[in-house]
Amino acid sequence: MSDTVHNTAHNNDKEASRPEAVAPRRLPFTSGQVLLVLGLVMLALMAVVTIFAPLIAPYDPALTSASSLAAPSAEHLLGTDSIGRDVLSRLIVGGRTTLLITSVAVFLALAAGLVLGLLSGYVGGIVDDVIMRVLDVIFAFPVFLLAIAVVAGLGPSVPNLILTIAIVYTPAMARVVRGPVLSVKQWDHVEAARSIGMSELRIVLRHVLPMVVSPIVVATSLTLAQTIFTITALSFLGLGPPPPDPNWGGMLAEARQFMELAPLTVIAPAGAIVFATLTFIVLANGLREVLDVGSVR
Amino acid sequence: MRRMVIARLAWTVAILLGVSFVAFMLVRALPGDFVQTSAGAQNVASDVLEAARRELGLDRPLLEQYLIWLGNAVRGDFGYSFVTRQPVVGEILPRFVVTFQLTLIAGLIAMAMGVATGLASARLRGRADWIVRLYNGFILAVPNFVVATLIVLVVGLYFPQIAIFNYTPFFTDPLANIGGLLLPALSLALAVSVTISENTRAAVLEVSGQDFVMVARAKGLLPRTVLANYLMRNALTPIVTVTGLQVATLLGGSILVETIFAIPGMGQYLFDSITSRDYPVIQAIVLLASAVVVIVNMFVDIAYARIDARAQS
Amino acid sequence: MLKRTQTIATATDETADACALSRRSLLRLGLTGGAMLMGMPAFAAGDGKDGAPVAGGTLTIGADADPIGLDPTVVTAFSSADFIALIYSGLLRWNAKMEIEPDLAVSYEMPDEKTYIFKLRQGVKFHNGQDFTAEDVKYTFDRILDPATASHLRAQYSTVTAVTVVDPYTVKFELESADAAFLNYLATADDGAIVPKGVENLMTDPVGTGPFIFGSYQPNQQFTLNANPDYYEEGLPLLSTVVFRFYKDQSTLSSALRSKAIDMTWLKDPKVAALMSRTSPQLVSAPGQTSRTFPIWMNLKAAPFDDVRVRRALSLATDREACVQTVLSGSGKVGAMLPESHVGGYDGTGEMPYYKHDPEAAKKLLAEAGYPDGIDLGEYIVVAANALDVACAQILQQQWQAAGITVKLMPMETAPLLNHWSSGTWPTLLSVALSWTPDADAIFQYLVSDSKFGKAVGVSDDKLDAMIAEARSEVDTEKRAARNMEIQKHIAENAYILQVYQYPLRWEIWWDSIKGYEPLAANVRSFVRTAWRDE
Repeated sequence: MSDTVHNTAHNNDKEASRPEAVAPRRLPFTSGQVLLVLGLVMLALMAVVTIFAPLIAPYDPALTSASSLAAPSAEHLLGTDSIGRDVLSRLIVGGRTTLLITSVAVFLALAAGLVLGLLSGYVGGIVDDVIMRVLDVIFAFPVFLLAIAVVAGLGPSVPNLILTIAIVYTPAMARVVRGPVLSVKQWDHVEAARSIGMSELRIVLRHVLPMVVSPIVVATSLTLAQTIFTITALSFLGLGPPPPDPNWGGMLAEARQFMELAPLTVIAPAGAIVFATLTFIVLANGLREVLDVGSVR
Repeated sequence: MRRMVIARLAWTVAILLGVSFVAFMLVRALPGDFVQTSAGAQNVASDVLEAARRELGLDRPLLEQYLIWLGNAVRGDFGYSFVTRQPVVGEILPRFVVTFQLTLIAGLIAMAMGVATGLASARLRGRADWIVRLYNGFILAVPNFVVATLIVLVVGLYFPQIAIFNYTPFFTDPLANIGGLLLPALSLALAVSVTISENTRAAVLEVSGQDFVMVARAKGLLPRTVLANYLMRNALTPIVTVTGLQVATLLGGSILVETIFAIPGMGQYLFDSITSRDYPVIQAIVLLASAVVVIVNMFVDIAYARIDARAQS
Repeated sequence: MLKRTQTIATATDETADACALSRRSLLRLGLTGGAMLMGMPAFAAGDGKDGAPVAGGTLTIGADADPIGLDPTVVTAFSSADFIALIYSGLLRWNAKMEIEPDLAVSYEMPDEKTYIFKLRQGVKFHNGQDFTAEDVKYTFDRILDPATASHLRAQYSTVTAVTVVDPYTVKFELESADAAFLNYLATADDGAIVPKGVENLMTDPVGTGPFIFGSYQPNQQFTLNANPDYYEEGLPLLSTVVFRFYKDQSTLSSALRSKAIDMTWLKDPKVAALMSRTSPQLVSAPGQTSRTFPIWMNLKAAPFDDVRVRRALSLATDREACVQTVLSGSGKVGAMLPESHVGGYDGTGEMPYYKHDPEAAKKLLAEAGYPDGIDLGEYIVVAANALDVACAQILQQQWQAAGITVKLMPMETAPLLNHWSSGTWPTLLSVALSWTPDADAIFQYLVSDSKFGKAVGVSDDKLDAMIAEARSEVDTEKRAARNMEIQKHIAENAYILQVYQYPLRWEIWWDSIKGYEPLAANVRSFVRTAWRDE
């Protein structure tokens, strides 16, 4: 959970300040384009399933029945869980909760990270120090202590989970933004804009922000991937969205008790988690190459 | 340089102080307390519960409790676990060692896998590069607790002869100890190896484009010599840095894997102590976990500052 | 290696049956002149067909919780009882059928309803070598009753006014009033455990007279007990070592059992236990008597639950049998206030008011109460960590929906949930299971008007209070059973609490290489003392 979260925060930070070597390009189309298209197709597939989940799902995902842990059959393609609910329906509808929390939380973290990162990087000095050290405190904090604190204090609801995850990812986002801003603000055209008396806000919006868009887009899709980890990990620890709405992490955690007896109940949500994460990773890699993020300096 | 190091040190101390205060207040703000929680659903009279709280010093004002804790902590006394009534340090140390061991083994596995795939990807280019990057992308998409769950599933179904839940302390049987940690470490190592692999690839590509490597090649040195003497030596700094960072965060991130494999480490202990509201233990673990992250960060920052300084001079 | 012969085993069986006295016959024996009762090992499972019991070997038990201290007088933690039960012994004990039998006491007399004189077993030694005498009994109870000790047991023994040493092996208890709960508390492992006089630090260095001696403890890893060579029961314990290994996670626990990393454990989910023993026939799963109930606590202090019609409607909207079938796969029973292991406990089949599932009647009652279009009851708080509770809550949510009753599920961390529950601050509905207590009275106490939980729930019923007090002072078991049943009906009639089902606290399961073990509804593994390893 926290490991992957923090890793990339660092990587992006360090990588952003280091030129990345260009991959060999011998194919008629670049590897980045292939990845990008693949990622978009996967994303579209996920979006369609998520949006039309109630129509696609063969059963009400919360409907219990006496036939618990049934093997896959024509009626229940992926079998049933421990209290007789249709696993396939839960898988389809479970994506909704998982992806909703993921996308909103990352959007919030992005917004907060953007503001803090711009402020920190552009203003610099004591403001930079204070913001970065406060973020360091959050960053150093075990993720799930934070999560338990929020969930225990405010109750396990979807908005609270979103808040928790947004808090957890804000430092990483701020770091991603701050790095390029630091270098961009030294650039000639920024200096020039300032010398002709352009307001600081306009400089930031017109000249600084466009320069950090590429790394942010990449970091966002990577963070989306990690957020899926975090949300499923929290559900795994019993801190996820409340029942009866299904979610992948919760399904995985519930099914573990029966996994040697009904392996599919574990493999199905695990597969969904991997697919969703893979989607965002493929997107991130495609974007990174197409946008040539490494060369931002 | 020295000023930078001193400033960084001061910040590190300040951050830890901040973390300890926030953790203290946050944990105490959580609804429910140790005494009520340990009584569970039993019908225990209120005065008995009150007496138990008094005995633990939980009836004092929060700030006073924090200052008492801080005063003792500065002198290295982290108090007693409410649950076991043993000194916290003695409780945490063996678990820290377990998690550290697990992390170390995971780090070594990750480094071996990461450097190998990263080198292959950078040196062979073309199709090998693609395969490695596809593999990396896929591995990165599998969370460590999913890997761990699947390992338990596969072992349980097909290899029941492999004992996976028999954690053996190091001093009882070192070999069994390390053997028992291999599978859990593997599930932690996979995702980490990807980051190392990508960084290795980038570092090697970057270094190989530089003049001294070109010169070495032009001088007709064997590719193997170039790789060993020039490429690896120069690419090593970023690789080691990344590994260090990864390992540092693993310490706090192994909770799910520890739970799944029943390894008595720090992650599981922190979760248990939060659940039971064992305040002194939570406090100490949070401090230790953040200290590791913050201190490793500090060294990385200093190391980068030195590299930058060298680059500029 | 000590091989017990067939004849001894059979002989002990007969003695065991003779000793497995119901409370009444023990009482009769006591009254007719204190006949000596031999506490012989109860090889209830070993009827000879498994071969002769073999001494030696290690039993590895998978435990789901660490003990929180080992001083029976001071600990309040439920998880400690299992360990205390094997280290200490009391004057009396429960047999596998939940009947009282002698332990450190060999007999007792009752000159009147308020006085008990116990004859103690001679030649018993504590683990530190100290002789067990009446002084230790007096010390144990004086310590419990001393307010400075702040023992949670003081409330249990509130009727005890004095404990006096008559001679080194005779001790007299004087009670304020007749108390049917008294002997039950004495027979319960942690509540009646006798501690040695003058020994400190029992929390971490326990010293008892039980079958096993505390060996070592590594928190979160393992807890080791060694056989007590001086244990008073001839030839017991058979095992030389008992190791508890801790697995906090239920899935890990079942995987560990399957991989034989442990010999025995107890599981929270009957479906896991049932499926495991179905796939591996060498696994023995014996549920034992039910000892725990799953109730729904309503906040009676405010609308809408201050109206008995709403409560009755909720009871009628609940299909208890469906919960038993779906959540417990049928391995439980419909529940009332007392589980079947108690005096007068509900067997799950008899008539209880407002227990018949009837959504239409529920709707009608709601309409009468002023909710013709159904009612939104807000949050239903359940223990997030307890999968069975969460599963049952989801089924209840659907059942109630059919009667026009809407709730929002709110799984909560255990610590804040207990806080809400004990202080009465939950909004409308909350579930926390009630575990076995030594005496039925302790369960009824949750609904007594001026008790801590009575106030939290908001029960105020003088008639109920009087019924509960009378039942506790009824020392005749049959009469008391009848009174307890009346109390349960009264509670159901007024729907002060909605009991859904009753079940064993844990479903015990072990490999069949372990013989001579039996689960006990008292939630402790007392019969590890008679267990042995058949290799």
